[in-house]
Amino acid sequence: MASSSHGHKHSNGLYTFSSRPRPVDSSSKCREPSSERTQYNYGNIMYDRRVVRGNTHAQHILPTTAQPDPAETQKQMIKKRAAARKQAWKQWRLRTPEALQGRKHIDVQTELYLEELSDHIVSTHAECQTDAFLDKPSTPLFIPAKSGKDVGTQIEEGELFDFDREVQPVLEVLVGRTVEQALLEVMEEEELACLKAQQRAFEELRHNELAEVERLQEQERRHSEEKERRVAQQKEVLKKERETAEKIAARAYTQQYLADLIPAVFTSLRNHGYFYDPVEKDIEMNFFPWLMAEVNNTLEKRYIAREMLDAIICDVTEKRLEEFKELDTQSARDWQV
Amino acid sequence: MDSTRAPVAFGRWDVPLLFGRLQQPEAAERLRSLASLCDLMRDPERLYRTVTGGFLEQLQDLLKDEDPSVRSKTCELLHLVTAHSIGRQAVLSSSLLPSLSQLLDDSSSSSRINALRALNCLALLPAGADALLCLVPKLMLKLQQQDGEDEDDGDDGDEEEVLLLSTISCCSRLDALPALASDGVSLLGRKLTRRSPEVRREAAASLMELSIPVEGKRQVCEGAVLPVLVGLLQDEDVDVRTNAAGVVMNVAIITAGKLRCLDLDVVPVLLDLLSKRLEEDERSKALVLYSLRALTALAEAPDGRRLLLQQLPLLARTTEARHPDIRRAAQTAVRVVTWTP
Repeated sequence: MASSSHGHKHSNGLYTFSSRPRPVDSSSKCREPSSERTQYNYGNIMYDRRVVRGNTHAQHILPTTAQPDPAETQKQMIKKRAAARKQAWKQWRLRTPEALQGRKHIDVQTELYLEELSDHIVSTHAECQTDAFLDKPSTPLFIPAKSGKDVGTQIEEGELFDFDREVQPVLEVLVGRTVEQALLEVMEEEELACLKAQQRAFEELRHNELAEVERLQEQERRHSEEKERRVAQQKEVLKKERETAEKIAARAYTQQYLADLIPAVFTSLRNHGYFYDPVEKDIEMNFFPWLMAEVNNTLEKRYIAREMLDAIICDVTEKRLEEFKELDTQSARDWQV
Repeated sequence: MDSTRAPVAFGRWDVPLLFGRLQQPEAAERLRSLASLCDLMRDPERLYRTVTGGFLEQLQDLLKDEDPSVRSKTCELLHLVTAHSIGRQAVLSSSLLPSLSQLLDDSSSSSRINALRALNCLALLPAGADALLCLVPKLMLKLQQQDGEDEDDGDDGDEEEVLLLSTISCCSRLDALPALASDGVSLLGRKLTRRSPEVRREAAASLMELSIPVEGKRQVCEGAVLPVLVGLLQDEDVDVRTNAAGVVMNVAIITAGKLRCLDLDVVPVLLDLLSKRLEEDERSKALVLYSLRALTALAEAPDGRRLLLQQLPLLARTTEARHPDIRRAAQTAVRVVTWTP
């Protein structure tokens, strides 16, 4: 095995093993032929019967090559077979010749130091237990030996320190802090009052300036309005002047136009016959129609007379005609008869 | 140990512990913790820690407590918190404002006063005034209610009025329209005749703010407020006079105002004020300035100009005053008086 991996190089050439580490083969019966042993059957070393486990003191000495057989039921059979085989083998094995008479073969240890071999390991139990803790006894009071003299003392009132004198710095600090705080507050108030005064001054100034600005604005507005009004007034005046001029011109023209109006009127009236002679008119109006009417009457009378005459003549002629016709017919009848 | 105050822990644990005590069901315990907190809050360091620790939200519940003394103490605490700018910002950013404004209708007067004090401090900040603008109608309503109460209400009623008026004037500084819309002019006009000078002063100050926009000026002219103001020009208190002069100055800018002021014969009064106050008193500087401006405005009307031309020497004397503002104002006045179209 070692030779087969001799000179085997690691795949990436980093390291070379003279004997590559490999896991132990599991020596199972169903072993593949050696050509297929590239894939090693890894067996779990924990379950390998070849690894000695547990207490080594109670092991069999020089165990014979027993066939590893996982099946529990066949163990005894195998054992028996093994025993039988052992027996058979024992017979054919080359043995040491039998011991001579009076002698016995015994096994002897030949090492330097003799060792007692026995199955039974002598063991003894030994126990040990500490004692329970005892309470430590209290240390005795250390009273040093008395040495020196006894002396007594007493502090009277007012001897150690004077209260009034000692309290002064404390009082100073207290009062000082209080006064300081009060001063701070007063200063704050003053500052606030100052600010307020400043604000007031600003307000007054602002009002002032605002009033001034507004006044000026008003002034401007008034002035501009005044100007507007003046301009408008001026325009009015101009317009009036123009109108007056036009009126004068119109008046002159009409005067001139109307100057010879009256004669023209009279002329036209006369032409239209509005001025007439009353007598002439009267004659025309009254006399002539009457005359004409009278003439008409007379003429009518004549016409009527003529018509009557015509009628009479017509009647007579008709009558004569009829008579002549009767005569005619009579004569004709007469002639027929 | 003071029995009205809870014990205070040492160092950084003082404020959180006291705030933890505020959750206790007993009202007396809460009152004691609040009293201790009020004492502690005067220190700016602790205030900063309180504000950044976010403890103010717990006060929200306390504001709705049943016990009135607890409520008033909480308002006092808030008043102390708003004394510093960090506290103001914190109160503005938290949602404590609606609860505070609800407390204005509270039954106990001390909680009302403390709530008003806190709101007043807030209103001094422009951002605070901005946030309080929506409260202005409610404040005007409260003023009206105060009006209906008895005249001799005592100091409490006066203080409430003073606080209300000063809050309104701060808010109107930012934007006067809400106050004008809730009929501020007539209401404040009534307040001008109250007994206590503080009320008059604050009312006149509010009127001054209100008369800055044109609408306000017109309203002041139309109302019967001007005669009262002219009367106030001769009040004992310097501040009242100053504020009244300020209102007159604002009103005299519009033409109607000028005419009405001249009708009411305001010019001699103002001249009188000027001549009396030429000395260098800080408080009266504003009075002098306002009177000068009012006179300048009145001098733009022809009647006023005629009157003031006669008083030119007095104005010329004012130009030699020591304060530069007064000098400038006097010069402007002289210029306007001697202007010809």
